[in-house]
Amino acid sequence: MSLRDWQRNSWLVAHKTSREEISGLLAIVERDLGSAKVAGLADDWRLGIAYNAALQAATAALCAAGYRAVREQHPYRTIQSLGLTIGWPARRVDQLDRFRKKRNVLGYETAGVVSEREAREMHEMAAALREDVRAWLGRHHPKLVAR
Amino acid sequence: MGRKAEAPGISPSLFGKTRQALLALLYTRPDEEHLQESLIQLAGLGRGAVQRELEFLARAGVVRRMVRGRQVYFQANADSPIYAELRGLVVKTVGAADVLRGALAPLSGRIRVAFVYGSVAAGAEHRASDVDVMVIGEASFAEVSEALAGAQETIGREVNPSVYAAADFRAKLAAGHHFLRSVAGGEKLFLIGDDRELARLAKK
Repeated sequence: MSLRDWQRNSWLVAHKTSREEISGLLAIVERDLGSAKVAGLADDWRLGIAYNAALQAATAALCAAGYRAVREQHPYRTIQSLGLTIGWPARRVDQLDRFRKKRNVLGYETAGVVSEREAREMHEMAAALREDVRAWLGRHHPKLVAR
Repeated sequence: MGRKAEAPGISPSLFGKTRQALLALLYTRPDEEHLQESLIQLAGLGRGAVQRELEFLARAGVVRRMVRGRQVYFQANADSPIYAELRGLVVKTVGAADVLRGALAPLSGRIRVAFVYGSVAAGAEHRASDVDVMVIGEASFAEVSEALAGAQETIGREVNPSVYAAADFRAKLAAGHHFLRSVAGGEKLFLIGDDRELARLAKK
């Protein structure tokens, strides 16, 4: 399936992005990667903030590709689209999606289900995704990336 | 996680304790012939009760009884008209722990203790209950959740792992962390390790 197929399925809508939008999203990614490391934060917060960084990075790639996810299952679609935008391997996409599920459980369960290790893994994954998205933007959409 | 055990579980509502244990052993590994003696040991429910139940299940055609030399073997009867349905039922209820155990086996060298907690461990699961799994050791969340992904499909339910390093688990427990205290004090179905190993790990 292609992003166009996803649009036909009403999972995505066409979206015209701008340099400002992309740099705004990437600024959130940087902010959250930094915030997730602030001393004294509980691990469930760390995981949540790093997860948001990853989601914004995925959103930036999808916007640059000319789409955005519809409201229904928005985070799920945005994460899954990484295979079609920056060509992330299915295994990585699945791993990130498992963090999404973990974070969903957090929404209605108790906070302590997150360990220090899980928060760190989420942060490492978000940082790696930022690098991959930045590199991909530079190669495929240089005009959208401010110098 | 903290769900109250208000309703009886699916499996105990259908089968008695001995039958549940035997169906779990026989129907989660239906390709194997199980020595009667090892079934008695694994079920841990008393020789007489297990023998009676096995004879009963064999007469009903649910399991096959085979005698070789002096040894008696039992196996799930794949020719039974309800074989597929019963296997599905067992795997989705009592057999879930066995499926999870098998999924984590490749990582067992780097996991000290793993157990199911929450409603499923308390035998109070419902149709939609997620299976909550605590894993303590050196394995990563990525590895554990990947290993459990296949099991999730087999048992037809979401599996939510929490993956802790021993030191982190110990520190949070010592700090009076509510979630970990209730998990450590609640019902558990051990997948790797046992109560003693968990106690050792929590104290050190």
